[in-house]
Amino acid sequence: MVEIRNLRKNYGKNPALRGITFTIEDNEILGFLGPNGVGKSTTMNIIAGYLPSTSGTVSVNGYDITEHAREAKKCIGYLPEIPPVYPDMRVEEYLTFCAGIKGIRRADTKKEVESAMEKLHITDMRRRLIRNLSKGYKQRVGFAQALLGNPKVLILDEPTVGLDPAQVSEVRSLIRELGQSHSIIFSSHILSEISAVCERVVIITKGEIRAIDTIENLEKSMTASSLLDITIEGDEATIMRVLKDIRGVEEIKNVTRTDNRLSCRLTLTEDKVRNAVMTSLVANNCSIVEMNMAKLDLEQVFLRVTAQSEKRTSLQDLLDETPDMPDNPYDAAE
Amino acid sequence: MFALYKKELQAFFYSPFAYVLTALFMLIFSLGFVTSIADLDTNVLKFSFSEFFYNNFFYFIFIIPLLTMRSFADERRGGTEVLLLSSPLSVTQIVLAKFFAIVTVFLFMIVMSLFFPIYAAATGQVIWSALICAYSGFFLWGIVCITLGMLLSSVTGNAIIAAIIGEIVMEVLLFLDRFASTRLVDVYPHLNSVITWFSMQRRFIFFSQGMFRLEDLVFFLSAAAVVLTLNVVSIEKRRWSHR
Repeated sequence: MVEIRNLRKNYGKNPALRGITFTIEDNEILGFLGPNGVGKSTTMNIIAGYLPSTSGTVSVNGYDITEHAREAKKCIGYLPEIPPVYPDMRVEEYLTFCAGIKGIRRADTKKEVESAMEKLHITDMRRRLIRNLSKGYKQRVGFAQALLGNPKVLILDEPTVGLDPAQVSEVRSLIRELGQSHSIIFSSHILSEISAVCERVVIITKGEIRAIDTIENLEKSMTASSLLDITIEGDEATIMRVLKDIRGVEEIKNVTRTDNRLSCRLTLTEDKVRNAVMTSLVANNCSIVEMNMAKLDLEQVFLRVTAQSEKRTSLQDLLDETPDMPDNPYDAAE
Repeated sequence: MFALYKKELQAFFYSPFAYVLTALFMLIFSLGFVTSIADLDTNVLKFSFSEFFYNNFFYFIFIIPLLTMRSFADERRGGTEVLLLSSPLSVTQIVLAKFFAIVTVFLFMIVMSLFFPIYAAATGQVIWSALICAYSGFFLWGIVCITLGMLLSSVTGNAIIAAIIGEIVMEVLLFLDRFASTRLVDVYPHLNSVITWFSMQRRFIFFSQGMFRLEDLVFFLSAAAVVLTLNVVSIEKRRWSHR
């Protein structure tokens, strides 16, 4: 289990992380989402013990990453954004070296290296120089390195970047399999990947956590009553005029026409507007063929969460910003 | 730590790097050797290996920064620094492993250079005790230069720049020696004594004369230890103020 409490990191005067708190449970795959340059890799570097934090603590299986660095780092397998491979080494040689610096006993090294190579399907490449491997293979060699010694915690920074679709699905199923016996934190830009692999996600923007919940809950909470997929029969100009006139219809998107039917997605300010939509359409001789509450998928949740204004809305939010909070405010929300 | 030491050594010996540098080193030595023999006084037929070491310093200092320039700069550039720093190894262990690997290559060069005294012994007579003493001085002097080169490699983060600044630093160290004996410095005895104390070549002279002084041994070893510590500190500092 990994506990991250109130993590802050400043690069010079620029705050990169502004107090991040979350927990990776045992045998859990936690998705880590955020736009580029908001502190994802910084957070992962700190958890892996590569960078020290400005303040806040990270504890891995009960060991503090700064105070008991050796013990903590032994529980971690880390695949950074750029796979940390030496171009002049052969695959097997490189993995043996990694096993050495990770303090794996010599007697176990061969077995560990073999099993890591097998899991990533790079056994055929064992004698190849890493410099001659394709990007996808380099990525897999880097991943194999993280698995050496079977660490309880895996930190994977965009593990599927540069892989072809077949390899991506292989790596995904590997991560899913590993998730049964490891704590995994896994960042990716590909949201479908996160929703395919992870149970819970953390979304961060500008060094702060925006949302932390199971994907299901996030989708539910954001589904907001406010999205309506509707198909209407009638004159197009009339329909558009009527829809635009209704107070509470914020946006009309995805307009498509088939025959004399028009389908679109409406964004409503609140639930009640639904009735207004129906009555106005019917009053103008437009018949409603189909009407559905739209459900947000992770991508839309992500876009919404990251687009939220920075303005704090409630007292709880203000409290969350205060440093040294005794409790994890996000735990309470779960 | 041994794994890292081994990897570093492999990086030197699996690539032409160590061999090319050793060849360069041998070339400098053999040219010096030939000159010494060609210059022999026909009555005495005697020359000093220590003197020969001393004269070769100027060339030799250009080799050390080439040996050390990649130690940390390449790790940073290749993104493999993350691997080392997120492994259970401490920064001190990382620095020491790299240091010992470079010292091993340096020792390899020195051992190769033994060819000349051995060859001389086959055809004439060599005073081995004096020679071993000179070699020890040469070795200690080299160790300090290696630590300086490593420090520069970790500070600059670019192998070429590390090598160039390395050459400059070595040059200044040699210059100190000559500067200490100028008339200007002679006027200020305190300044003179400080500069002389730091001048490594001066200390080497004692070794080359067959004098193994504890003071010099302590100087070289503590200088190396201080620079290695600075190296550890500089890496730690960069982690804290990353970017």
